[in-house]
Amino acid sequence: METVSPTTPDRVSVHAPAKPLSQRNWMRTPLYHVLVAGFGFVMLYPILWLFASSFKGRDEIWTNISSLIPQNFTIENYVNGWRGFGGLTFTTFYANSFFYAGAATLLTVLASAVVAYGFARIRFAGRNILFACMLATLMLPVQVQIIPQYIVFSKLGWINTFLPLLLPRIGGQAFFIFMIMQFIRGIPKDLDEAAEMDGCGKGNIFFRIILPQITPALITAAIFSFYWTWEDFLTPLIYLNEPKLYTVSLALRAFSDPSGQTDWGAIFAMSSLSLVPVFVIFVAFQRYLVEGISTTGLKG
Amino acid sequence: MTEAVPTVVSQAVPAKGRGHKQKSKRRRNDNVMGYLFISPWLIAFLAFTLIPIIASFVLAFTNYDVLNPTWKWVGLQNFERMFTADPRYIKSVKATFYYVFAAIPLRLAFALAVAMLLNTPRRMVSSYRAAYYAPSIVGGSVAVAVMWRQIFGTDGLINAILGTNVAWLGNPNTAIWTLIILAVWQFGSPMLIFLAGLKQIPREFYEAAGIDGANGWQQFWHITLPLLTPIIFFNLVMQLISGFMVFTQAFIITGGAPLDTTLFYALYLYQRAFVSLQMGYASAMAWILLAIVAIMTALVFRSSSYWVFYGSQEE
Amino acid sequence: MRSRLSVLAMLLVVAALVLSACAPAVAPAGAPAASDAGATVDTTAAESTGGEPIELRVAWWGSQNRHDRTIAVIQQFEELHPDVKITYEFSSWDDYWTLLTTEAAGGNLPDVMQQDYARLEEWVSRGLLSPMDEYAADGTLNLADVSESALSGGRLDGKLYGVNLGTNSMVVVIDADKLAEAGLEAPALDWTFADLEALATALHEKLGIWGFSGGLSNEQLWKNLFLSQGEWVYNEDGTALGYENDQSLIDYMTMVKRMQDAGVTMTREQEIAETGSSVEQNKIVTGEAAMTYIWSNQIVAVATAAGEGRNFILVPMPRPEGGASANYLKPSQFFSITSQAKHPKEAAMFIDFFTNSVDANKVLMAERGVPVSSVVRDALGPLLDVPQKQMFDYIGEVEPTVSKLPPPDVAGHANLITNVYWPVVWDPFLFGQQSAEEAASALREQGNAVLAESAQ
Repeated sequence: METVSPTTPDRVSVHAPAKPLSQRNWMRTPLYHVLVAGFGFVMLYPILWLFASSFKGRDEIWTNISSLIPQNFTIENYVNGWRGFGGLTFTTFYANSFFYAGAATLLTVLASAVVAYGFARIRFAGRNILFACMLATLMLPVQVQIIPQYIVFSKLGWINTFLPLLLPRIGGQAFFIFMIMQFIRGIPKDLDEAAEMDGCGKGNIFFRIILPQITPALITAAIFSFYWTWEDFLTPLIYLNEPKLYTVSLALRAFSDPSGQTDWGAIFAMSSLSLVPVFVIFVAFQRYLVEGISTTGLKG
Repeated sequence: MTEAVPTVVSQAVPAKGRGHKQKSKRRRNDNVMGYLFISPWLIAFLAFTLIPIIASFVLAFTNYDVLNPTWKWVGLQNFERMFTADPRYIKSVKATFYYVFAAIPLRLAFALAVAMLLNTPRRMVSSYRAAYYAPSIVGGSVAVAVMWRQIFGTDGLINAILGTNVAWLGNPNTAIWTLIILAVWQFGSPMLIFLAGLKQIPREFYEAAGIDGANGWQQFWHITLPLLTPIIFFNLVMQLISGFMVFTQAFIITGGAPLDTTLFYALYLYQRAFVSLQMGYASAMAWILLAIVAIMTALVFRSSSYWVFYGSQEE
Repeated sequence: MRSRLSVLAMLLVVAALVLSACAPAVAPAGAPAASDAGATVDTTAAESTGGEPIELRVAWWGSQNRHDRTIAVIQQFEELHPDVKITYEFSSWDDYWTLLTTEAAGGNLPDVMQQDYARLEEWVSRGLLSPMDEYAADGTLNLADVSESALSGGRLDGKLYGVNLGTNSMVVVIDADKLAEAGLEAPALDWTFADLEALATALHEKLGIWGFSGGLSNEQLWKNLFLSQGEWVYNEDGTALGYENDQSLIDYMTMVKRMQDAGVTMTREQEIAETGSSVEQNKIVTGEAAMTYIWSNQIVAVATAAGEGRNFILVPMPRPEGGASANYLKPSQFFSITSQAKHPKEAAMFIDFFTNSVDANKVLMAERGVPVSSVVRDALGPLLDVPQKQMFDYIGEVEPTVSKLPPPDVAGHANLITNVYWPVVWDPFLFGQQSAEEAASALREQGNAVLAESAQ
């Protein structure tokens, strides 16, 4: 495919909505809304189903399974679910999850941005090999790493602490590092070079020029990182053995027993509830993705 | 693998008139700064990731079974067996490739198309974005399995709509497609990355193109698409890697059945490691997977110089 | 500059979130009851006090119901033994084995772990469990009220590695109303596979529903088949199959296929589509099938899910023509003491409490199956609700006629089932890719290979 490279503008102002002009007109047509909203409902159906099921009573949950409207609306499932296990309520599990997801996200996004800049913009010896190593860490299934890793952390005496969950995040995560790298590479280089001519150090360039321009990438990384940490159950399962350290995703799994009695209403209720923080984070942050946080990168 | 990494920065031609000494000094300085910036990753890698990786590599040549502290060296036996005496292994490779080549292109095409549709700051559109992203946050929870069986079950929604009576999850021809549809339905993460990429495209380009009289399609073809290639490239690589690692959905919904048609590589590996307790064999499988994925990724990297356009690249 | 500020602001929001969440995590205030049970900073507490409390770790799998009851019993035990502090780990079935396997590899197993009959041999053969005979002998673990038949499941090579937490047996549940509707009689307690096929077919033809729900290809029925013929599926040292003649298996497989093809039971395809569905979705609960089989401790779940106004008849499993009972009493699960236990004596005390304390069992209420202590059984008798009473009565009814408990599954069992039994034997047969004869001989050849390898 031949690409027509547009000439790089000398002033970079990237944050206005980027949209081919003619495309906007079609977005005003009713057809657009009918299509997009209709398909949106199809996308949403399973989630609506989950929420509907969480308000159905015990006798109704399997008999009236396909309906999106509970016959007898009840919040009993939420009460039973939140009660948790033997006195440990979901208050504890939410506190743990917020701590884990919040701290991990903060660490991951910050570290990933710094490392990504190093890989994307600085030419140093061994860069390509290290980059390949980094990508390769994504290609080795976690199932074979669990046990050796557990042995290391248990020798360090870190079982039942958040250290095995958080400390590895100080290096960022390969997915986000690579993602942010791609965004940095999309930024024209002449700005950095001009700054470098003016005697700006790499650190300054990173903070003053690069960081402001990759906010969409950072927001995206924050949304993903929060969600992936929130739903992670394998690491908490292995390292957080005491129930008072359980996270929401781990506690959710402890509800069901294939061979015994399972309170499915409570599972649906707590599953629905566990989506709320992730969804709130998405809604709060995605606005900035498209509407823009600021007007220009350099004028400040 | 190393040569496949695009060397983008290399074209950064220093201003003329700089002496040889200055160049080497600058290079040394770059080395220091480079390692300084990547040091968080490097430290974490050496401290937390490297040991398990090496351990899994060593175990691939043993008959280690997790519960038994005594194990012995078996040489290449695990690898030999995989390719000559384990029909389920071959089935798992087939199922995984089928999944990757069906689900990933569909998912990316969907994600890009929807991102284009939703890339506008109007209020309604913001709720559409939330709706389209929503499926991606239900992940692999216990509830998803129940939900998916409810939709694709014999008495489920799909059969009700189509007026059929097919056991979608039990039929060897359709089971894998329910998982592919699930993957496509959860296209939110590549979509979001595309949105962030679209956001980064300078508006001036479109304005200039508009003045030149380019229509929407031409603008898409000549501006949006080329400038989005680094992001498309990223999504392609990442979806490819995660596609080969696919595990959770098959684990909670089909368990590999029917007839091993949804026995994805990572699922089979998990069964070997934690059900049959053959961790040595599972480690050998893991390293073959790494090799397969690395080759596929390297091919994509190789191809990138033909179609990926970097703003930082001078002609 | 403004954009940098907004990035900062964003990060501050995240930081605030973290800090606000941090507070309760450091001092868990939300758990009054558990703060007694879940030990907080154990090491410092243990070092500073003279009579340092012993920390005992207990792990089990289950659902919310079981977690609640077990935790309550742990609290009872702690009140009686102020010198013992119990920390506990609970999870779902799948997670439990991932976690415990990992802990075993890391040398970090709890003192007491819930064990499963299918895994007992595997864990014992790797030296991960300790025998409890010494504690049984000195009275720490009182087994006077427990019959030998209830205990024998936990014995391997004459040593006691697990104490049975509840007795289970398989049961065929028949919808009495459907039976009446079709004008058919309940089967005799010693009914055969031929009777099963005839009854299920008649129900199917008269009512248009599944006569029997499905699951007949399950490995449990393979075991029942050979047990009933006085044989066992594995040989003594677990290196090969234990039966010589494949004919009865071939006959059985042919019957299952015939029933599936006739629509009398769910096809394998339909079964797979239902995989992992809960007891509450069992076809007998939904009224789509007239018969099904379950484990006796699931009677309560099925009856509860079916709701009021339904009537069920419980009969033992059918047997091959001329065979003995296909039923046996199986330990639903055990408590075992691991070889990595730091306090095996206290572990034995805890298991003793679980087994013999009437107070504890009033809380547990036979959730894990019918208790093994006769004293406990008698004490619970008047407290049972209707489905629980049905479960107790059923076990009492089959006990005199059951076959002897077969030995625990051999070390290669899980390997055989996942890698041979389903993918090489039953599924290709039921999907029409091979004959019953081919399936049975594939099981023999490949099964023997897997067993021999795992036994090494």
